[in-house]
Amino acid sequence: MQTIIKKYSAVLKINWIQALEYRANALVGVVAIISGLFIEYQIWSLIFESQNLTNVNGFQFRELMIFIFLSIMVGQLKSSWHTSGEMIEGIRTGDINKFLIRPISYFWYHFMMFIGVNSLYYTVYSLLLFILLIIFPGLIFPAAINFIGFILALLISIFLSYSIYYIMICFAFWFGEVRAIVVAYNLTMLVLSGQYIPIRLFPESIIKFMEITPFIYLVDFPVSIATGRMPIGLWTINFIYSIAWCVIMWIIGILIYNRGIRQYEAYGS
Amino acid sequence: MYIKISNLTKSFKMFKRSAGLKGALKSFFSRQYTNFFALKKINLELKKGEIVGILGENGAGKTTLIKLMVGLLYPTEGDVVIDGYSPWKRDHEYLRNVTIVMGQKNQLWWDIPASESFLLNKHIYQIDDSIYKETLNELVDLLDVRDKLDVQVRRLSLGERMKMEIIAALLHRPSLVLLDEPTLGLDVISQSKIRDFVKYYNKKYNATFIITSHYTKDIQEMCERILVLHGGKQMYDGKFNELIKAINPERRLLFEFSIPPEESYIHNLKGKFKFELNDNILTAQLPESELKDLLSTLLNQFSAQSMSFEDLPVEETMKNFFQNPQDYL
Repeated sequence: MQTIIKKYSAVLKINWIQALEYRANALVGVVAIISGLFIEYQIWSLIFESQNLTNVNGFQFRELMIFIFLSIMVGQLKSSWHTSGEMIEGIRTGDINKFLIRPISYFWYHFMMFIGVNSLYYTVYSLLLFILLIIFPGLIFPAAINFIGFILALLISIFLSYSIYYIMICFAFWFGEVRAIVVAYNLTMLVLSGQYIPIRLFPESIIKFMEITPFIYLVDFPVSIATGRMPIGLWTINFIYSIAWCVIMWIIGILIYNRGIRQYEAYGS
Repeated sequence: MYIKISNLTKSFKMFKRSAGLKGALKSFFSRQYTNFFALKKINLELKKGEIVGILGENGAGKTTLIKLMVGLLYPTEGDVVIDGYSPWKRDHEYLRNVTIVMGQKNQLWWDIPASESFLLNKHIYQIDDSIYKETLNELVDLLDVRDKLDVQVRRLSLGERMKMEIIAALLHRPSLVLLDEPTLGLDVISQSKIRDFVKYYNKKYNATFIITSHYTKDIQEMCERILVLHGGKQMYDGKFNELIKAINPERRLLFEFSIPPEESYIHNLKGKFKFELNDNILTAQLPESELKDLLSTLLNQFSAQSMSFEDLPVEETMKNFFQNPQDYL
């Protein structure tokens, strides 16, 4: 077990080293995070001011801002533009050969890579969360249990999101190029997971539909726990559902990979 | 037997389309697939510690065979068993004992120094600290790249990068090493260094090497045994020198007369043997037995100022062979 942890933490470490190699890229990434939050703030303050609103679907301005800020953060932490693009390219060009010839799991290697690539965001967002806690006391993590619940739900969201990406990526074994599917999924998820507009602002029928999909666990679930919008009584059942979705997606991914790898033609010399 | 390959066949499903927008549109709606056989019924047995070269033209199936042996491809038919393992099951125990270096594919992390990739491999292959340090030092010194360890891979020359690739591939001391075009694009010094290194590593660790190369010299210097593939078929499996003799049994004799021979002597000799005479030097390219007869005839009457036998250039011989391999075997 210790050697397995060492093996995969080495993958994580080399991704950090790689990320730090490009200082300008890292800096632009941080600026992009902050500017994204600023734009959201401007849009919603304009909406509230122009319409003279005091609340929207039970959200006061400050509450909505916190909910949206957290949603953007969680959405960013579970997104996989970089890793999924690299994995698809690897299958298409034969670059995954270098992983297949080593005693390492393709799934877990890239999961650690996914975490490694997003680590820069984890650091910046942790700092931002700390600042938000000071500026808006009581609106985030009303109790210590909310913080623990949020971290657990966030870990589930990251794993679930990666597992869904993994399924799409594995179709590259048959079709070669599947980036269009990933891009379409990413764009759809920006809305359906509640990353930019909270699902709670959607009509009831859409919320009901979303509740039977895994997508609700990607952003809305951890953010609702963090802001105290989900009663503690509902946590257990939602944790069970979210973990079940993780297992289902993980197994589907493994099955598709095992079929796909037989199709793989190890392109290039 | 360390490696046993039986009736190994690999086919790929392919489609063709004509060039241009019209061809692309037509192919978008309807594709006609055909089966392309990259390998047909290959049989091979290898003992541990052998160095075997695979020769063949482009598209002969050399790389496909190597990819099947490392488990990158599933066979269409037949079987490969290496040290008791089926490569395509990718058992981690098997992968810990095998390595592949592909001359045209980079396995190192491009943007960071090679030493970081080495450390990653240390953890992936679970190499002990002491063995890691010892092997790394040995390989770095042998390949003479110590001062390049902390340079980003993208800044290395092709030769330096290939040496780093080889180090990364051998850190875990694999017992089976598959080298696919390891000297491609390298200068003669780097090529020679890599050839010497292969021989050294094989001797020290009794590792089995399977090498493909377009440079016949690589194969000639490193491999006693060769497998020749042509259009996916196995054409020859045996000693390299015997193949060369079978393809071209002729050798060249250069005989410099100590005193100029008389014209009548040369005229008579030309009736029995085929040769050329320029500046007192007789050059003959004949099968070895005829060459011996010619030499004894010459030495009966003349002494030689200088004399030498030469093998014909191997590249030339192999080129002739690949143009029509059926004619020679």
